[in-house]
Amino acid sequence: MASTVIGSSIVIDGEISGEEQLVVHGTVKGRISVRDSLIVENGGVVEATVESVSITINGTVNGDISATERAELRPNCTVIGDIRAPRILIADGASFKGSVDMGG
Amino acid sequence: MATPVSNPAGAPCNIGPRIAIRGNVSGEEDLVIEGRVEGSIALTGHLTVTAGAVVEADLEVDSVDIHGQLEGDIVAATTITLHEGCRVAGNLRAPRVVITDGAQFKGAVEMDVQLPGGLQRQQRR
Repeated sequence: MASTVIGSSIVIDGEISGEEQLVVHGTVKGRISVRDSLIVENGGVVEATVESVSITINGTVNGDISATERAELRPNCTVIGDIRAPRILIADGASFKGSVDMGG
Repeated sequence: MATPVSNPAGAPCNIGPRIAIRGNVSGEEDLVIEGRVEGSIALTGHLTVTAGAVVEADLEVDSVDIHGQLEGDIVAATTITLHEGCRVAGNLRAPRVVITDGAQFKGAVEMDVQLPGGLQRQQRR
């Protein structure tokens, strides 16, 4: 059960930080920094620098992504930006433009 | 993993107790704030500020229920309700403002008051 949900009609322009799971159905511009998992749902748009433990993207992200555990790009997602995480998964059907750094 | 349905009814929008947002929040659905928001909130739906939440923002909403802490001006299209245990500092403007017993409030209240004919003339002078 997600504790924080940004609904599909919600637009946040600024900075989100915290220590619990964040699910984005709407639009976030600026910066996201959560010490838990982040899920960008289908239809969600994130134009922000993203820092999290585990990141799952079904929607659109335009910005650099940094995860301390894993980053997963699901089918149908669109991601433009650099990804840094120890484990990175890019599913068949995902569109991605940027560099990948697994820290190896 | 089940994909949550992306509609206002199926996925109620809430800001959890351990989340802080600094900036502008806008939208067309109901929102529940349990955490911290600094900036401004513009909503065409209902806003709930739960006990324990801290909001430092100017609000422009349809209606709002406040149980927590709020510093900022509130403009609501329908109702502002300050509940027991809340602490609010700012100016309130709405057609209906409800302040319940046990609520702490500092600021001005402005309702669209329809004065009786005689009083209205007196006020104009």
